[in-house]
Amino acid sequence: MTERAERAERAGQAPGRGSAAVWGSGAWVVGVLALLVAFPLVARDRLPDRLATHWGTGGDPDSSMPFWAATVFPALLWLALAVAVLLTLWRARRNSGGATASSWIGVTLGFTGVTLLGAQASIVRANLDRTDWRDAGSVTVWAVVTLAGAVAVGVVALLIGRRARVTVPPVAGPALEIPEGQRFVWLSRVSNRWLHLTAAVCGIVSVGAAVAAMGGLAGLHTVWSAATFALAAVALLACASVQARVTEKGLEVAFGPLGWPARRWAADAIASAWVENRSAMQVGGWGYRLSGLGTTVMLRGGECLVIRTVKGKDFAVSVDDAERGAALLNSLIAQRAK
Amino acid sequence: MLLRLNVADHRPLHEQVAGAIRRAIAEGECVPGDRLPPARDLSQALGVNVNTVLRGLRALRDEGVLEFRRGRGVTVAQGADDRSALLDRIREVLADAERLGYGKDDVIDMIRGVT
Repeated sequence: MTERAERAERAGQAPGRGSAAVWGSGAWVVGVLALLVAFPLVARDRLPDRLATHWGTGGDPDSSMPFWAATVFPALLWLALAVAVLLTLWRARRNSGGATASSWIGVTLGFTGVTLLGAQASIVRANLDRTDWRDAGSVTVWAVVTLAGAVAVGVVALLIGRRARVTVPPVAGPALEIPEGQRFVWLSRVSNRWLHLTAAVCGIVSVGAAVAAMGGLAGLHTVWSAATFALAAVALLACASVQARVTEKGLEVAFGPLGWPARRWAADAIASAWVENRSAMQVGGWGYRLSGLGTTVMLRGGECLVIRTVKGKDFAVSVDDAERGAALLNSLIAQRAK
Repeated sequence: MLLRLNVADHRPLHEQVAGAIRRAIAEGECVPGDRLPPARDLSQALGVNVNTVLRGLRALRDEGVLEFRRGRGVTVAQGADDRSALLDRIREVLADAERLGYGKDDVIDMIRGVT
């Protein structure tokens, strides 16, 4: 079988591809782990008792670790990351029945793996044949090379993940009869008064801090906290109310009192729309949430309008009367398809 | 709320907007006391200028279908659903009368004559 035919067959069989990805990630995790520990162990005889592990801006080592710590620390970091990724993946799979597009996993594992490997190799190389960690060589060049390599691997992983993303079969949602010669438009908005309240509190704190800083009551550094609170107030305000519109153009979800920023999906970019009951617990809180269920704009628990794009990404927004919004959207999609 | 518009409607846009909202109220899309979406939302959804939407909304206020309240936005007036449905029927009667060659005053005379 040629390589291309093999690839085509794999692309056609989602489960096989999925398990190949799992095995691939598993092998990468174990391989990187082994290398991280093996590098210093192999060079044990040529390394000092304490290894330089941190370099100052001038390129001279300014911090060290005992040999065993330098060996184990990166491996532990890597292990912790792998476990975190695994748990997230597991939760996402449990929530969405296994249909998750997970290119971010490849990016995370690829980028961090290469970074850690490069860092470990640089450390071993800089400490090689030195008797004291203070004499360790510079790692600037290697750090740059490592970072470039890590970015390259991350980008490649992202591209592979994008290409391999399976188009998820659309979920059958409600539909609405649109009579000939009529144009339907659906609007809904929802707001969360607690988020409004929190935004107001943040705003007041911000103004108070700014006034205090200007009046000389508090140090100038208070300006920074004022700016932080102002930023939080704006972000909260933008998440506190949302308007959803379904027109013949598609779906538009506008945030905040100004209706900006807004997200838009053309009708032919949406595969299907339906209604789901979601709670804040499920998606990880209120506001603009990214979780295993896709993106959710959660302002109140309960009825959510959910769309799946043709690329297989899910977006949900908690609005009232979502049933008819989804129905109209499905009818518009069907009209486009004709 | 769900708004319906006729693609082949040749009336001025502000009348079409008013008609769509009147119809939505008559069909129970929004009940008396409900807040209407802000004019800007409506204008973006319908693809019509905000001023046109406002003109339509003001016409509905003058009909007694909507209430403009400061700080509360635009709300559906009490009894607007019945009134709006009745107005719709009167409009139909007027349209029929016009087709048959009767003017508005003729129809008013006819209504006065009905006992």
